Amino acid sequence: MITTYEELASLALEEALKKGADHVLVRIQEKLYEVIIYDCGVLKSYSVGRVSGLGIRVLVSGGVGYVYTASLDRGGIVGSVEKALSIARSLSRYAQVGYVSIKPVKDFFKVNVGVDPYDVDPEVKVGLVKEVNTSSMRKDGIKSVVTRLAYEVDRKYITSSDGVSIKSEVTLVGFSHTAVAKYGMISEKVSNSKTFVGGYEFVESHDWLAFADEVDSLAIKASQAKTPTPGTYVAVLDNEAVGLLVHEAFGHASEGDLVITGSSVLRGMVGERVANELVSIVDEGVVDGGYPVPYDDEGVSKGRTVVVKDGILNEFLSSRYVGSRLGRRSTGNARVQDITYDSLVRQTNYYVEPKDLSIDELFEGVSHGIYVVGRGASGGEVDPSIGTYTFSIGPSYIIKNGEPTELVRGVVVSGNILETLMSVDAVAKDLKVVTNVFGGCGKDSQTVKVGFGGPHIRVRKLVVGGL
Amino acid sequence: MLYDIVERSLKLCSRYGFNEFEVYVVNDVGTEVLGIDKGVEKVVSGEEFLLGVRVVMGRKVCVYGGMVSRVEDVDVLVNSASKIVRTLPEDRGWVSLPKKLGTSVVEGIVDVGIKDLELDRYVELVNYMIKKPRDVDRRAFTTNVNMYLGYVRRVITNNYGDVVEDERTRTSISVSVKVVDNGDESGYTENYSAPNLSRFNPDELVVKAVEGAVRGLRSKRVYTGSYDVVLMPRVFTSLINSLIAPALCADQVQKGRSPLKGMLGLKVFSENITVVDDGTYPGMLGSKCFDDEGIPTKRKVLIDKGVLMSYLYDTYTANIDSKESTGNAFRPTPHTVPKPWISNIVVERGNYELDTLISELRNGLVIYDVIGMWLSNPVSGLLNATVANAVYVDRGDVKHSVKGVVITGDVYELLKTDEVVLTSSKEVLGRYEVPAVYIPKISVAGEG
Repeated sequence: MITTYEELASLALEEALKKGADHVLVRIQEKLYEVIIYDCGVLKSYSVGRVSGLGIRVLVSGGVGYVYTASLDRGGIVGSVEKALSIARSLSRYAQVGYVSIKPVKDFFKVNVGVDPYDVDPEVKVGLVKEVNTSSMRKDGIKSVVTRLAYEVDRKYITSSDGVSIKSEVTLVGFSHTAVAKYGMISEKVSNSKTFVGGYEFVESHDWLAFADEVDSLAIKASQAKTPTPGTYVAVLDNEAVGLLVHEAFGHASEGDLVITGSSVLRGMVGERVANELVSIVDEGVVDGGYPVPYDDEGVSKGRTVVVKDGILNEFLSSRYVGSRLGRRSTGNARVQDITYDSLVRQTNYYVEPKDLSIDELFEGVSHGIYVVGRGASGGEVDPSIGTYTFSIGPSYIIKNGEPTELVRGVVVSGNILETLMSVDAVAKDLKVVTNVFGGCGKDSQTVKVGFGGPHIRVRKLVVGGL
Repeated sequence: MLYDIVERSLKLCSRYGFNEFEVYVVNDVGTEVLGIDKGVEKVVSGEEFLLGVRVVMGRKVCVYGGMVSRVEDVDVLVNSASKIVRTLPEDRGWVSLPKKLGTSVVEGIVDVGIKDLELDRYVELVNYMIKKPRDVDRRAFTTNVNMYLGYVRRVITNNYGDVVEDERTRTSISVSVKVVDNGDESGYTENYSAPNLSRFNPDELVVKAVEGAVRGLRSKRVYTGSYDVVLMPRVFTSLINSLIAPALCADQVQKGRSPLKGMLGLKVFSENITVVDDGTYPGMLGSKCFDDEGIPTKRKVLIDKGVLMSYLYDTYTANIDSKESTGNAFRPTPHTVPKPWISNIVVERGNYELDTLISELRNGLVIYDVIGMWLSNPVSGLLNATVANAVYVDRGDVKHSVKGVVITGDVYELLKTDEVVLTSSKEVLGRYEVPAVYIPKISVAGEG
């Protein structure tokens, strides 16, 4: 009886090669996600989801077929191999796909976990979420509160016909709190979350009542705040706002699969200036605070990719296929949500490199502007083909005479990423990168965990919407 | 295997002594054809079985589930649910699982051509759409064509004895086009999403994508100010989905997260706006025979000539308000807790021709596409979106293309005035059938 991931993958690999595949990649995955949600003093849900199965990608005469199955038995695997081969053969009429060669690696990567979240008594976990949630609900001005505790364990085995053999196990835990405060007819929602790569010891070492108190207080203040006057502002962006901006508005456009199809505003711009010379942007597999991706989902080592060096576009992110189209190496950015998808080119930990200034120096000389704060941001959206972006930001501050002063709510920023990065005129030294167990980056229906961040930066022109 | 999973789950749940239990099993077969500029890049295909069990001890409720690789996996899932549920606090709002399940008759939700998957035909179709834009406009080329074809079987049962099952097909097709002209570039994507291919016309889809991309050439920002706007159906759909649909859901109302709380029977929008939720509408993306806890789908008027008539309920929220479920329980996967959500939204048509509305704009925008509408705040009703494809109209004349400006406003103020009017023509966009809408005086952040 076949029991281990390696044996199952080996069966798929050998079957595919025996039956004529030119190249084979096999992924086996088991992913567990647990989330506890308290909503307005009531346990809304304690839900657990599990994904497990095998995906096989075969290349036959330039055609590619990817088939996944949840059935981890001999019949299910052999049937999937045959289906993948059949698809690949029929597609060889339409396209000629190739892969850049790589140096095959064999490795096992596992995040250190002190206390496995799975082993913690459900009653303890529920008790913590309940205490924080019900405490917030008692505060004047707070109308509704959602508190969440989640963890994810992602175990993978990746092997290929060119000798790749990578096992990995990544555990994340996180805590999130969302408060809605009401003042008159105005309701304002503020969220914050913290995520840690590791075990339940992170949850045990934090004061979550204090964390929630900060969120609640900000929601109450924000509900009494005005929206900003619409227009163009000088803006100082904090670490999370910079991370969001660069990940969404520039990072996606630097993904090579968008470049080769002409869907990126950065197409044909390698070697050209795309940002102020103060700006350097990096995608790195393993970074403090980020989501660890030492190897991508093709088993390629993900090191450090300098995408922008001193304002000049240096390199696109790529996979083995996209690398072959670009005539470059794979940068180790082929990633999947789970085995029900084949890989896309995705960012790992994408951030702006720090410079020398203090945060205070960024505010100096700004007579009227906005301090854009990423905490509680709802996210963003970008059209990478033209570089237009928009973000909903958390409660932020109007800058007057070099000081962040009046709190404003409902801040939405918008612009063209190349114009925005060209207008950067100051970069601070306070690098911070974060990840999030509660969400991730979406692309073509797939969500993957990423890290993002940077130091504080200042831009001369940022369009801000408001009433 | 579908029925083996159901049977094994029922047997185990009975043995564990739960007060109530529900078993929800999905068999999902999906194939996606992915095309890029050079041709069909690859086909991704597979099949999965998903199980969700909702178990109840007293008023303690736990949902557990996931992908089932072998029928024996059911034991692990139900066992885990049993362990967890006993440790949970009681939910004082819990009354019961639905005691009676049933199905509605819904037409047009199974397409035999999708179910039997004639793969070569669809690969040819994607290949055709990759090449077609150049025939429409020599400046245009395809960046992506994706075609998803899915077949889903569902079975829901619980301890009260009823068993419901259905099958549906689903397709989602998108074509993205770019136009390059004298150093300027513009892109646009058109989509078709439905349970069947009866309305699908590849030529029409490609032509609309090319037209959208051409319209976006040489765009610029308008000055910050107040503008009258026409939101085309795609944008109006996005507005409803991001701001109004969440506010109509009973869970949001009950938690104080909806501006529509306490507004039943009151005028909340223009008298020209009537909104219906209909899970039985033939051939629409959200049409199905029963919701995600086995309650028959049905048609209900939510907004009647501007007056709020009903919220959307699942069983849990209906019990809290002493109402019947409206058949709107929704679960993205079987192992998630149900909550109310729309099935299909139909906005009744108005009396205005689109051309007339545009010709009457004095200082306005006709907005064809936005990004970031989902970042709007349904709790406060604050609309925020960035214009990605629009034209500026001055005294009835289209002057130039617009993008990169931000529209904002309180949607309940914007849509309340009876000056808001709708077009007589509508579009079907996935779960929505919607006309274009004229809204006066929206705040626009742009130049200056």
